[in-house]
Amino acid sequence: MTELDDIDGLAAEYVLGTLSREERAEAGARIVSDPAFARAVQAWERRLGPLAESVAPVQPPPGLYNKIRAQIGLASHVISLKAREQTMVRRANRWRNATAGMTALAASLAGVVMWQDYQRRQMPTQYVAVLQADKALPAFLLTVDTKSNMFVISAMQKPAEPEKSYQLWLVHDDMPHPKSLGVFDDSEMDVRPMSPTGPMHDMMMDGTYAVSVEPRGGSPTGLPTGPVVFSGKLVKSSP
Amino acid sequence: MLDELLAGVARGDEAAFAELYQVTSSKLYAVALRILRSKEAAEDVVQDSYFKVWERARDYDPKIAAPITWMATIVRNRALDEVRRKAVRPSADVSELDNLESDDEHPLEVLGRREDVDRLRRCLEGLESDKRQIVRLAYLDGLSREALAKRFGHPEGTIKTWLRRSLAQLKGCLEQ
Repeated sequence: MTELDDIDGLAAEYVLGTLSREERAEAGARIVSDPAFARAVQAWERRLGPLAESVAPVQPPPGLYNKIRAQIGLASHVISLKAREQTMVRRANRWRNATAGMTALAASLAGVVMWQDYQRRQMPTQYVAVLQADKALPAFLLTVDTKSNMFVISAMQKPAEPEKSYQLWLVHDDMPHPKSLGVFDDSEMDVRPMSPTGPMHDMMMDGTYAVSVEPRGGSPTGLPTGPVVFSGKLVKSSP
Repeated sequence: MLDELLAGVARGDEAAFAELYQVTSSKLYAVALRILRSKEAAEDVVQDSYFKVWERARDYDPKIAAPITWMATIVRNRALDEVRRKAVRPSADVSELDNLESDDEHPLEVLGRREDVDRLRRCLEGLESDKRQIVRLAYLDGLSREALAKRFGHPEGTIKTWLRRSLAQLKGCLEQ
């Protein structure tokens, strides 16, 4: 008959559950430190796992699901701002990848489109980003004129809820967290000078712009706290 | 279906999580209850386990285990840690929980029959009856070698030898 070697025998008994408290604790530690043992445990979990399916089901107490939901909710409340930032940057990267191919645009909630009408009506504008959700009307229009070195932010929608503000952020891999570019409570236009070269210029040109919903007056923490509702990148709109 | 729900949970989909709970909780609660023999302790273990499922769904690898096996493993490990730590299980086993069935087959309806379940059952049937009972009591009811030794009136060393032989035989049978 086949014999189990020491590793396999221990792994089998660990999974079967017959070890004493001390042996179990030692084996648990060994899973972490010994990959061969960990693989043996995994193999036994797979072999014996189907046995658990023969257990007759028993309805758990009715309040259990709510307790679990509460535990998950509590955990999500204590997600650090750092994690929010990372999420934000991850999202921004995803958008960047998505917008790299224009075909992904239609599927994306937020996108960058060429604003041809705007381009025709305006003075020569070299870069433009339209931040919009699924509405026909853009929410934010960002333009960069490299001749005059002006950065123009046009907020074209106000937040649906009166006690909220929109806040515009620049997200870039080279920055540790999103940089606020201003708080917008109403349709308004903001024209700013922009340095023609340098790291900030570069980040503005290839970063991702995102608009989050914040308490009236802007984020209390200096970082995005609410959901990101629009985002996009600058695209070259004229030679 | 369960792997789709788990994939949803990995994306943070709360509706998928609610459905996963709906479909699997009576099975997982029963697994914990059989081992812990305490409703309160089983509830705690199942709560912790679902929280872990929520947090670790991303790590689930369908190539390694079926979804229910992965989840049941989380529950069993917690329950076994708990039962060894506190010895919460009354050794006499005299409780209303004792009429929990232990021999009937109750696969999750949503899964239908699974081949690995059938194969394991066939291989278990190849063991002598008391050896098979020992394996089931250990795996499903969480009995330690010591508890099995008392129950069967043999020294622990004998039980260990039986266990290792039975497990080797199972392994050989499953690998055929």
